[in-house]
Amino acid sequence: MFEIKPIFNALLRSKAGALMLLIQVAITVAIVSNAAFIIQDRIEYLQQDTGYPEDEVFSFTVFTYSDDIDLIQKFEENETMLRNLPGVINAVAASEVPLSGSGSASSFQLDADPTDSKSVRAAYSGGDENFLDTLGVSVSEGRNFNPDEVIVSQDLSKIPTVIIVSRAFLEEMFPEGNGLGNTVYMGPAPLKIVGVVDKMMGPWLKDRAADNYIIFPFLQPNNFQKFIVRANAGEREAIMRQIEDIMLEDYNKRVITNVRGMDEAKANYNASDILMMRMLVVLIVVLVLVTALGIFGLTVFNISKRTKQIGTRRALGARKSAIIRYFLVENSIICTAGLVIGSIAALYLGKALLQEYSLPELNNWYIVATALFVLVISLLSVVMPANKAANISPSVATRSI
Amino acid sequence: MFVHYLDLAWRSLKRTPLVSGLMVLAIAVGIGITMTSLSVYHMMSMDPIPEKSDTLFAVQLNTMDEGNQWWTDDDLPQQITYKDAMALYKADIPAKKVPMMRTGFTVHMNNDQVKPFLEGTRVTGRDFFSMFNVSFKYGDTWTQNQEDTIAPVVVISEQLNEKLFGGENSVGKEIYLDDNSYQIVGVLNNWDIHTKYYDLTNGAFNNVEAVYMPITQIPALELPAWGNTNGWKYEMIDSYQDRLNSETFWLQFWSQLDSPDEKIAYENFLTAYLTEQGGLGRYTREGVSFGLRDVNGWLEYNNVVSEDNRILVGLSFLFLIVCLANILGLLLGKFLRRAPEVGVRRALGASKRDVFKQHLVEVSLLGLFGGVIGIGIAQLGLWGVRESYSYYSALATMDLSMLFAAPVIAISACILAGMYPAWLVCKTQPAIYLKTQ
Repeated sequence: MFEIKPIFNALLRSKAGALMLLIQVAITVAIVSNAAFIIQDRIEYLQQDTGYPEDEVFSFTVFTYSDDIDLIQKFEENETMLRNLPGVINAVAASEVPLSGSGSASSFQLDADPTDSKSVRAAYSGGDENFLDTLGVSVSEGRNFNPDEVIVSQDLSKIPTVIIVSRAFLEEMFPEGNGLGNTVYMGPAPLKIVGVVDKMMGPWLKDRAADNYIIFPFLQPNNFQKFIVRANAGEREAIMRQIEDIMLEDYNKRVITNVRGMDEAKANYNASDILMMRMLVVLIVVLVLVTALGIFGLTVFNISKRTKQIGTRRALGARKSAIIRYFLVENSIICTAGLVIGSIAALYLGKALLQEYSLPELNNWYIVATALFVLVISLLSVVMPANKAANISPSVATRSI
Repeated sequence: MFVHYLDLAWRSLKRTPLVSGLMVLAIAVGIGITMTSLSVYHMMSMDPIPEKSDTLFAVQLNTMDEGNQWWTDDDLPQQITYKDAMALYKADIPAKKVPMMRTGFTVHMNNDQVKPFLEGTRVTGRDFFSMFNVSFKYGDTWTQNQEDTIAPVVVISEQLNEKLFGGENSVGKEIYLDDNSYQIVGVLNNWDIHTKYYDLTNGAFNNVEAVYMPITQIPALELPAWGNTNGWKYEMIDSYQDRLNSETFWLQFWSQLDSPDEKIAYENFLTAYLTEQGGLGRYTREGVSFGLRDVNGWLEYNNVVSEDNRILVGLSFLFLIVCLANILGLLLGKFLRRAPEVGVRRALGASKRDVFKQHLVEVSLLGLFGGVIGIGIAQLGLWGVRESYSYYSALATMDLSMLFAAPVIAISACILAGMYPAWLVCKTQPAIYLKTQ
């Protein structure tokens, strides 16, 4: 009923054009399914939950270039000043800022003796008891630091004895679930885990252990000091704009740099992924367009070549719908062959990318979805020229050229 | 004859504006996308100092205990310790070598006119500029004596000179770094390198530093490293002196070795040095291991060209193939429809060769148009890249070689696609068409 046999025979007579269409469809399926998969992979990565209210938090760096002040006292004053600003929820001087792409990491051991001890790597930061609240996270088990546990000192020999850790670190270090209250070691220094935060990610989202994060109740005020501030989401931008003036008005032998929101810092760290995603989106869109145009152009050409035959068929009693059907079926035959070859190619391309690069394995549903999508697009681009063909008058056939 | 073919080609394009337009569009888009990713790739992988890249070597030393691993392919740390850097710097060979590190200062003029700002500063040896071919606009590098006596001298970049002194000769003037004053001994010419190959530890495409000062300032000023400091064992570091004596890696080291003989001599020297250090009980290793990589080897070793970029280049060439298949299909249609006309030409004495050539000229013309429009599309694409990733702003541009490559790739691609249709058409038997018409 679809007249597949005659259509197929006709196709065999003009193989080259059909072959080109087939190649286009095949490559399109192979590229689009893999590219769509990479895009999805990046979107998942970019939209993952970091645990923080990214639109409320911002950070900045204070570079003090004079030694005529006591930094401990100055930063204490500045923290209080920042907390009293209208719109600010909390503020803290911190050694590192999460999600910023810069930080410190170390391995932590289960035993004091580092040989043969289980060891887990984690990023860490330090600040006073306001650190967690400033980041908008809270302890879900255990407790926050007590003010008397916090050490703010230039003297590195004073070391903290308690830490708060992320759930991911706790579970990696103590898979049996007895971690809270237990002790881990950083070098020879024992550290008791007093609190657990369910979700707080470290400075590097691309780290193998991005979820392992440890907070020390410790700050060594530095002439290169980071500050973190949390404000109401709507007022954050305004506060960020004033922050340099406010800080310099308080004391001016310093430079305020790197004032940026947590979301901005994260986007900056991920800029290459965002770029890759955009380029792939452009590639997919343009590729599908070009393929559609190719199908369109080829159909237009086929029709103009067969004007006489179409006229003859119409004169012999073929309905308009039969003419349209003819082109749709012809296109579907080519496309289906292209889709099958393209799907196989997509599998191989996926495997090659998997082997060569650090990409996860291609999900086969992407190939199926892409194949269906390309089929629909190809049919759509045939419909218009086929309609035009159906309107060819039967009289064309009887006319001599 | 060529001009005549061009004329014919132009007429033929005008006769079928829709199909010709589609073909030009397809090739333009294909070239545009391909050139966008290829340009970024080209800039990333380009030799940053072609005249010297095979004589400058990054030095790596393995001074870790046996069994310690590093994340590089050959377990060698990318940086070296302070004590090794200083020992290699004081050695007799080679003639030119520099240790270096990135730090930073607040720059100001100790007055109210200039608001203090931060600048990245490179602390290095006096031969840095001659080794990396950086030329001076005013003055020169600091003297050996100034380096040895830790004199407060700096070399500044042209941009910084522009900002602070309006571009005039500032040699001999003073600037303030943090709370100390320094005398300017040299102003560099604009140093435009797209890859900061001499220090890849913190972003290969960051800007070069604006201030340079002698390496001997490290212990004097207790300078912090604005870069990575990596350790491999637990060390108690309570003071800056501890840091200087520690086994942590935080300096880069480059040597200039002008001949293979010099390289062999230096390799022997490094072997002897590491054997001696191992003998002193600093670390426990069997045998010695070190790395000497020239500039291009160093870029490759540090994976400067990102994985994403390689994927994109591959995908965009596949995309170009789709565009070509598209064009091939359309050309087949277009040329075969002209078979009667070709039949007449053949009957009038044109050889198959002539017909073939004529059609190739026509597709080349298509390629030329497509290539030129493609450059426009690529510029648009590169603009998009620069907008969404400022870190790539120096990379996402087309240099002259890429501008030339675009039409060349377009025309060759079109000729490749046009061969088969042109061959089909020149096989035309004149008799058939003469009969029916």
